[in-house]
Amino acid sequence: MTAGTLPLAGRRSPRRSFSRLAVWVLALCALTVVGLAAFAYQVANGLTVTGMRNTMMWGQYILFFMFFVGLSAGGLIVASAGRLFGVAAFKPITRLAVLEATVAVMLAGIFILPDLGRPERVLNILLHANRTSPMVWDISIVITYTLLSMTYVWLYTRADLARGGSPLALGTGTSPREMARDERLKSGLAWVALPSAILLHSITAWIFGLQISRTFWHSAIMAPLFIASALVSGLALVILLALLLRRFRRIEFENDLIRYLGALLAVFLVVEGFLVGSELLTAAYPGAEEAGPILRLLTGNYALLFWTEIIVGLVVPFVILAVRRTRSRPGLVALAAVLAVAGIFVHRLNLMLSGLSYVRIGLPPGVSVGTAMPASSFASFHWYVPTVVEWLVVLGVLAFGALLFTIAVLVLPLREREPHAH
Amino acid sequence: MPDKVSPIKALPPASRTYGAIGPHSERPHWGMVIDQERCTGCWSCAVICKSENDVPLGAWWNRVLTEGEAVDQPKEEHGHLGMDWLPLTCQHCENAPCVKVCPVQATYHRDDGLVMMDYERCIGCRYCMIACPYGVRVFNWGQPERPTPHETGMVAARPLGTVEKCSMCVHRIDEGQVPSCVWSCPSQARIFGDLNDPASRVSRLAHEGRVLLEESGTKPSVFYLKPRRKREL
Ligand code: SF4
Repeated sequence: MTAGTLPLAGRRSPRRSFSRLAVWVLALCALTVVGLAAFAYQVANGLTVTGMRNTMMWGQYILFFMFFVGLSAGGLIVASAGRLFGVAAFKPITRLAVLEATVAVMLAGIFILPDLGRPERVLNILLHANRTSPMVWDISIVITYTLLSMTYVWLYTRADLARGGSPLALGTGTSPREMARDERLKSGLAWVALPSAILLHSITAWIFGLQISRTFWHSAIMAPLFIASALVSGLALVILLALLLRRFRRIEFENDLIRYLGALLAVFLVVEGFLVGSELLTAAYPGAEEAGPILRLLTGNYALLFWTEIIVGLVVPFVILAVRRTRSRPGLVALAAVLAVAGIFVHRLNLMLSGLSYVRIGLPPGVSVGTAMPASSFASFHWYVPTVVEWLVVLGVLAFGALLFTIAVLVLPLREREPHAH
Repeated sequence: MPDKVSPIKALPPASRTYGAIGPHSERPHWGMVIDQERCTGCWSCAVICKSENDVPLGAWWNRVLTEGEAVDQPKEEHGHLGMDWLPLTCQHCENAPCVKVCPVQATYHRDDGLVMMDYERCIGCRYCMIACPYGVRVFNWGQPERPTPHETGMVAARPLGTVEKCSMCVHRIDEGQVPSCVWSCPSQARIFGDLNDPASRVSRLAHEGRVLLEESGTKPSVFYLKPRRKREL
């Protein structure tokens, strides 16, 4: 028996690792419950318990929505690129990547809910769908993509599940004919999955990029930029999870793979940096009023965040990954991956803040804030800070995601069984 | 607009006569011209809008911006001091970005060009607020607070978690009355009428006026006449 039954067996005794696993799962359950409670509190009181107002009408929930869309698209692009372009080296982590994509896109979908003022009416999106709304396009592709990546996970693990006699194989077997069909389906699916991953990300970009009201977002570069960010954060997360699961002996691969992925991540970082730079230059070059949001980004209230994105999120990980010596050390690659994921998160935060903190008709006294204020109910700038409730809801969703992932890792064979083991 | 027995019918006759909509075509497209030359920045329109529509504390459907650095602060122009205001509310665009993006068609066009809200359908995603370049939509972040527990408005209150905005006082229009901001303006800076009727005063003035953020192509139904005279101090 290889990895089938031992729960997260490290070098420790099975009993000890089992109790550690129990603590981990219980903690995740507890956090999920706390998140649900915070959500219930928010539903009862309205979004006034968040840091959002009319001057900053979207916040942390939409931020995490687009962040997780990015993580998911990246994961599946890695998986299907491995297949389409025959990069055999990706094989040991393909199952992990599709699983990561599935969980990430599900979380993205979940993050829309707490953002709604009337979550109980969410089905209106299906009942009264407006064909011209990018949000409707996006929800359609999120649902499609979730189903697609679930199919993917099943298809990749099905044969091994069948060999282990698991009911999750849904009664399928491992006859040569079925195995051949698997291969055909996998190739076929890759041709659907890759374009829909790209579409998923582009549509998410268009939610923002098609709005004439937000000069900072209204740009054709948004879709390519979102794809680049997805590649960076998705691949970086796959690297981290791969290293983590190798520690827990759920998958096996050589350090060479990490070096290879590290180099690929460096390339993605360059693309991301190029697009960010090109966007900024185009927006800032005309000067004067047009450049308002850009100047604010470079020097204003949020400047620190912007420079964090560039230095910590792009330059440092790139240097680590570009140098062969550092790239050969998995620990350093992991560090670069953490920085890259964090950098993309901050990048999206910046995108959100600079897009929203700029009012097109910015004459005094500004727009009405939306809740009763002691002095003036108008403002033209709003220093958005997420509240404790927002953090608890986000933590709850993240914990739920980690729980799903943990269960999937325990139940699904992420490591390919050698045919002779059968 | 959620229904409530219209108190408009109960208005005193003098008020009804003063507020009556003039002659208009069979299929009107309602529009408004705001004369910045006449506007004195008194906020009457903004205040009556709040009470007419029972707009909650902290939210305004209609506000009066000062063209300059600070509220009611004169600005210097070619050696003269000037002070102008820009009353701003929903522009009832023909090519309305909010209508395009609303995922559930909770904001939509009426045949007479008004951009309406269905408060029972709105899911509160605030995408319309993102899309609106004029920043005139407001969200009910919490349980709407009002200075008195009695409903003082002429329309039903909107529920928690939905977006609301100027309806051009559709409840008055449907009773043949002009919007209350038009009715209440002490300097008659607001002219309301049918843009489909070429002979109407509003159509004639709209030709001389400009629309806000024209380059965005939203095709507003609200037009502005620029200040024409420099006040000397
Ligand atoms: S907040 Fe309501 S009206 Fe606005 S886009 Fe969302 S559902 Fe439509």
